[in-house]
Amino acid sequence: MNTIFELIFPLRSELLTSVRLAAGGMCALKGLDIEQTEDCKVCITESLLLLKHRGYSSASVRFFEGEKLSVRIEGMGEGEAEESAEDEISLALLSALLGEVGMTEKGGRLLAVSFEIGS
Amino acid sequence: MTESELFQRYRETGDRELRNLIAEKYLYIAAILAKKFVGRGVEYDDLYQVASLALLKGIDRFDERKGLKFSTFITPTVTGEIKNYFRDRSRLVHLPRKVSELRAAVKKTADELTESLGKRPTAREIAEKLGVSEEEVLSSQEAGGVVSLDRPADEEGMSFYEVIPDTDDVFDRIDTHDAISAAVGELSEDERRLVGLRFTEELSQAETARRMGVSQMYVSRMERKVLEKLRERLRKSMA
Repeated sequence: MNTIFELIFPLRSELLTSVRLAAGGMCALKGLDIEQTEDCKVCITESLLLLKHRGYSSASVRFFEGEKLSVRIEGMGEGEAEESAEDEISLALLSALLGEVGMTEKGGRLLAVSFEIGS
Repeated sequence: MTESELFQRYRETGDRELRNLIAEKYLYIAAILAKKFVGRGVEYDDLYQVASLALLKGIDRFDERKGLKFSTFITPTVTGEIKNYFRDRSRLVHLPRKVSELRAAVKKTADELTESLGKRPTAREIAEKLGVSEEEVLSSQEAGGVVSLDRPADEEGMSFYEVIPDTDDVFDRIDTHDAISAAVGELSEDERRLVGLRFTEELSQAETARRMGVSQMYVSRMERKVLEKLRERLRKSMA
């Protein structure tokens, strides 16, 4: 699958709005409706929060060419992992909004979250 | 008392005080989820209220014997109710000032295009119709601010609801009714029951699920499929 667009950035809360805006742009390019676009933005934000809570200092968000809009959110760098009670809610929210979510793990540590959105 | 013991005792006794205790313990989930959906044109307080009511309903439906954690069970339920609320809120419009003005125009155009295209429009379609850029449409969705249609629109106290004209043509309505009746008639028994509960009785997805004896997620998926089928049949019948 070819990457259409990739964002790499430090995992800082103040950058999430920019990421959401960029995600909105990609959804528009792919022709997703407003509701799917909003869901996509929520899912990307939740995935980034999951990675942040696992100690990653940066992340990449990649959008791929395909029938639907495919997104892969990957942690970069190392750091101290901090457990968060909200993670469980984030995971359940991702499942509720997307149905199928791909979790790439290594040695029990989350490396990336990927999903497809669109009809 | 552990989570499981708490729910077991509530299930056995139906004690309202226990339910209140559980609700207070998990109200934070409603707050977290409500925050996730801020920025779609509805105030946080409204979303929090919807989420809290969904939490209360979920407490009654949760069965700890199935081995699921309550937070895992309740998140899709609350999310579903919030999304239903977005779909159902028809008595809200945005204030016509600067970004709010564009936001209102986007909402109105999205509704019109949904009707004319038979599907939810893309940002590009909305932008083309409004003569603005896609970026402007998208960024307007990031801003907040809504007002009720019941709010006074002028100094005489007329509400927005009263001053906004109804543009529906009565003959169009009859045509639409006939087309919808024919399309619904082609659905399966279960699908017709879902349409009746959701769109005639106007029940929530959670209540529909309870009456049909299935999960809310199942109702959500079935509803999406039924609406797709109806749209397709209506498109064919109107072609």
